[in-house]
Amino acid sequence: MRLPTFVIPVLVTLALTAGYGLRTSFTRPTTVRTFAEGTGVKATFIVDGVRCKGTAMFLSSLYEDIPGIFGIEIFAGERTAVFTYDPKVVTRDRIRAIMEAPIPFKDGTTSQVFKCMSFR
Amino acid sequence: MSKMKTRYLRYAMLTIVLGLVLYLSLGFGSRSFEAYCPFGGVESLWGLFTTGEFSCALGPLNLSFLLALLVLALVCKKAFCGWACPIGLLGELAARLGGWAWKKRPRVPPRLNHTLKLLRYVVLAAALFFTYRTGELVLRGYDPFYLIFSGFGHGSVGIFSVVVLVGMIIGMWVVPMFFCRYLCPMGAVFDPFSRIALLRVTRDTSKCTGCGRCSGACLQDIPVQKLGNVRYRDCTNCLDCLDACPEKDALQLRAEL
Repeated sequence: MRLPTFVIPVLVTLALTAGYGLRTSFTRPTTVRTFAEGTGVKATFIVDGVRCKGTAMFLSSLYEDIPGIFGIEIFAGERTAVFTYDPKVVTRDRIRAIMEAPIPFKDGTTSQVFKCMSFR
Repeated sequence: MSKMKTRYLRYAMLTIVLGLVLYLSLGFGSRSFEAYCPFGGVESLWGLFTTGEFSCALGPLNLSFLLALLVLALVCKKAFCGWACPIGLLGELAARLGGWAWKKRPRVPPRLNHTLKLLRYVVLAAALFFTYRTGELVLRGYDPFYLIFSGFGHGSVGIFSVVVLVGMIIGMWVVPMFFCRYLCPMGAVFDPFSRIALLRVTRDTSKCTGCGRCSGACLQDIPVQKLGNVRYRDCTNCLDCLDACPEKDALQLRAEL
């Protein structure tokens, strides 16, 4: 069966759209850390600097000893960190400040590793 | 649609994709530009099966693009490569610049060309072996897509990455689609799907004058003028051969089992 040439770009566009739409079926966190039992509330941060499993683990380690943080799920592909926290103990601004604080390195220098792009 | 508009439409699509990937690579949007790479979906499979987690920087978009594009390859060959891959666009631009610069472009002998195409299976095997073994995307430092859009970012290996990228660009300038033909592991994944795809260019021998412009236009060196039916796995359905053909309906896009 003969087809018009515009079929190809239409099919490519459809495939890309379908691929984008299907993504939610495969969503899994890169890292899940639970620091304490509790329900709390959730806050989602878009974090520049989360690139891979290593940086996701490093980001989560910043919250290990912070009171009021129950857990964190990080999705490196989406540069997203979802915090579960107790709003009476810790605020979203405090969570943001922790991730954006300069990190000391072994050579004595400090550098900001993560930057919060937005949160909700 | 007139003949020339097919190529313009393709360039328009490729430019939109390039713009989108650049937008993500500059830090806008909520995703890494790497999410657009379907080969990331292949690399993520082992981690998903064994630990239920995505390796390194990979995410669900890599996997969903992979699945959608494999279905696309079953229908219209490697159309993704010709119509929506930024590295395909880079290869094509380098090849066209090469076309203007070379008085007579050196051609890779067919037998050597065929043998060199096996390299992409070696690259595929190496990429999967090292990714599955380490859980890291260790070949990032040699991946032109990553090196260009990350600006030699985290994971690149200094001067080696520069040498590899410059070598690939020179290769693409000398041999059209050098990276896509010989080194792209995603092309190797698409190969079996592409060979049996439904939509392909066919040649009407009663209308064809054998001028050879179709073969000359093909950056993949497919001898379209000698084929009745382009089943080649490397065909991207870019349709440049249809653009180049001076005879009405001698070349057609057809759906055939």
